Amino acid sequence: MIDAQKTIVVTGIGVVSPYGIGLSRLQAGMLAGQCCLSPVTELYPGFQGTVAQVDALTPLHDADRYSRSDRLAIMAASDAVADFAGYSRDLRESGIVMASTVAGLTEIDPEISRGAAEWYRHGGLLRAATYPVSRVAASVGECLDIQGPSCAVSVACASGATALVLAANMLLDEAASMVLAGGSDALCPFTLSGFNSLQALDSEACRPFDQNRNGLNLGEGAAVLVLETLDHARRRDAEILAVLRGWAMTNDAYHPTAPQKDGLGLATCIQRAIEMAECSIDEVGYVNAHGTGTPLNDIAETHAYERAFHGRSRPIPVSSTKSYFGHCLGAAGSLEAAITIMAMRAGVLVPTLRLTDPIESSQVDWLRGEPRRQPLPVAMSVSAGFGGSNVALVFGGYRA
Amino acid sequence: MKTNLPVLTGIGSVTPYGPLAGLISAERLEPRAITAWTTTELRRAFLVEPFRAASIVPGLKTRRLDRLSAWAVVAASLALRDAGVDLNLMDRSRVAVFFATGFGCVELTGAFYQSAATYGWAGTDPITFPETLSNAPASHVALFHDLRGPNVTVGCKSFAAESALLQAASLMRHGQADLAIVLAGDTLTQAVYEWYETADLLSPACFNNEPASSVSGFIPSEGLVAMVLEPAGRLAARPYAALGAGRWAAGGDTRAGVRQLLGGGLPDFILCAGNGAPCAPSPLTCSPRDLVGADATIFPAQPVAAGMGEAGALLHLLLALSQRPGSGQALLLGTSAHGGYAALRLELF
Repeated sequence: MIDAQKTIVVTGIGVVSPYGIGLSRLQAGMLAGQCCLSPVTELYPGFQGTVAQVDALTPLHDADRYSRSDRLAIMAASDAVADFAGYSRDLRESGIVMASTVAGLTEIDPEISRGAAEWYRHGGLLRAATYPVSRVAASVGECLDIQGPSCAVSVACASGATALVLAANMLLDEAASMVLAGGSDALCPFTLSGFNSLQALDSEACRPFDQNRNGLNLGEGAAVLVLETLDHARRRDAEILAVLRGWAMTNDAYHPTAPQKDGLGLATCIQRAIEMAECSIDEVGYVNAHGTGTPLNDIAETHAYERAFHGRSRPIPVSSTKSYFGHCLGAAGSLEAAITIMAMRAGVLVPTLRLTDPIESSQVDWLRGEPRRQPLPVAMSVSAGFGGSNVALVFGGYRA
Repeated sequence: MKTNLPVLTGIGSVTPYGPLAGLISAERLEPRAITAWTTTELRRAFLVEPFRAASIVPGLKTRRLDRLSAWAVVAASLALRDAGVDLNLMDRSRVAVFFATGFGCVELTGAFYQSAATYGWAGTDPITFPETLSNAPASHVALFHDLRGPNVTVGCKSFAAESALLQAASLMRHGQADLAIVLAGDTLTQAVYEWYETADLLSPACFNNEPASSVSGFIPSEGLVAMVLEPAGRLAARPYAALGAGRWAAGGDTRAGVRQLLGGGLPDFILCAGNGAPCAPSPLTCSPRDLVGADATIFPAQPVAAGMGEAGALLHLLLALSQRPGSGQALLLGTSAHGGYAALRLELF
């Protein structure tokens, strides 16, 4: 017997990705095997690399007040609630939890360091006002007239998934009856330069979990999920897209940037999320991996799956969808949660692109080649980030 | 003491009062003249005096860290010391770190922009980049103390610290953590100060030697406060307060929201958080007296904490507790000139 007041369900998904606006475009592109990564040189002088970009932003009143990350978030949130008919008190009183790592860094240029006051007086004041990460959540609230509890999350590349966890806890606390939760990050020279300085970027399209992987590609986008309790969703007769059955967060406490080599922290996280979901390791039919394509991440993550799914009757199917449109940083966790739900609803496991020579593991079933069609009652999305944070989300289907 | 509420058992702080464990001598501070960067005329703020972190936390190396990261490790260490928690007796994968900040590691972010201005984006420093991330302070706390539980960094317009307290308590209530270290803070840099000045947000007290209390407006501040939350009942613990229900909202009717939270019971004390008070008062804010009538004792917001903006509520709470208000029911209340509120019920011991 499920407790409808303690069961968290997903009733809306909004996506902005290099495929365009909407989950259906993302789904069509991914199932067609379309890769959005392409070589670029113009992002800053001296940069040669491969990225995935969102082509055009929706026009917005007072657009100068918002950063590119804000605008992607607003577009995704608008898409998530597009089915809400007219004015809704539910929506107005909703909570917002938005993740970002870049936020308004997109709007600031190095000239600020030659004299901040001068830079502000010459047009930088408004641009710098978009710098705090809280602005991403506040911008969504302003544009959609949402007045409930609002919060921004910045946990590096695990931010988007963390936002979903915090939103679920807010619902359990009855802090809001619905929460729009997700992440948004735009491409910008700051992060491209940073990852490039760390020699973490693959100049060609990335190859997650391949033995010849050579780093990650950056992308941009946003995803926002509408979360509410099952009880509330039933009362407003909402379509239930998935149940968020379990979640967990841990930290490696190992190194500022490198993951724990043996994957222990991530494995603990996965085990706790499965425990909360009250399912067995055999019931999890698919893992949408963090899978950045860096040498260190992918081997540590493989070890985590071997630990967490040890004793399973057959290898765990795993893929990295960052091979389609790169690593969207603070948006990655929420985009990948959306893809995981999409896979469950469509009954299709999407493969990792360019995975020709996978890391050897007898306990992982690396998805590659064609999409695999099979029923998928329970699936998991996994995120990790600089600073050692790990997040695991377990989704299940819903039958009335 | 109600045993089902998380209790606040340890406090550590790095503020203009210095690096301290536990309550502080809450004498009123005056802003100091800024000397950390060149100013053509007098500019004042509430600043943290430089100190050697390793003298307080042996073994702590801070050379590569943003000041905010260094302060986070120092304040967390002092809070754990104050709480008397022995982490060796705990499952460290169930100890959470929850950090609230407005600007994150803004010093090293500025340094990264400086390197881009000097050497171009192709010549930036790989060691600086990861330390610019907003979650670096929380992750350094985890790394230093080997804390393997949830590690979350949040921002929230006007109410970051309050939302961190509420969400950390929520993790504990839902069995996702056994103990939480909640931190809130920001550093003040020249770029941040000059943004406030260009936006015309600063108090006249920033430009002359008038006492801060004699003029209105915002005097920028910096610092970081850490608080240890644990379940009630540990015998050696000397709790300061138990955390009850709370809520925050970005807008809506503050009076209705707070009254609903109070449920008809009025607190003995109102601890004003005053976030958003940096800017001018607004018809959107409401006074504590409107909410609770004439009987409650009100601890007004202090400029040194108000100057920390959205990360200031833990310092407001620390300053109020340091005045030893006595035992009873309290409400930590923050309102914002932009609308919205944060309210948290506390039982003071």
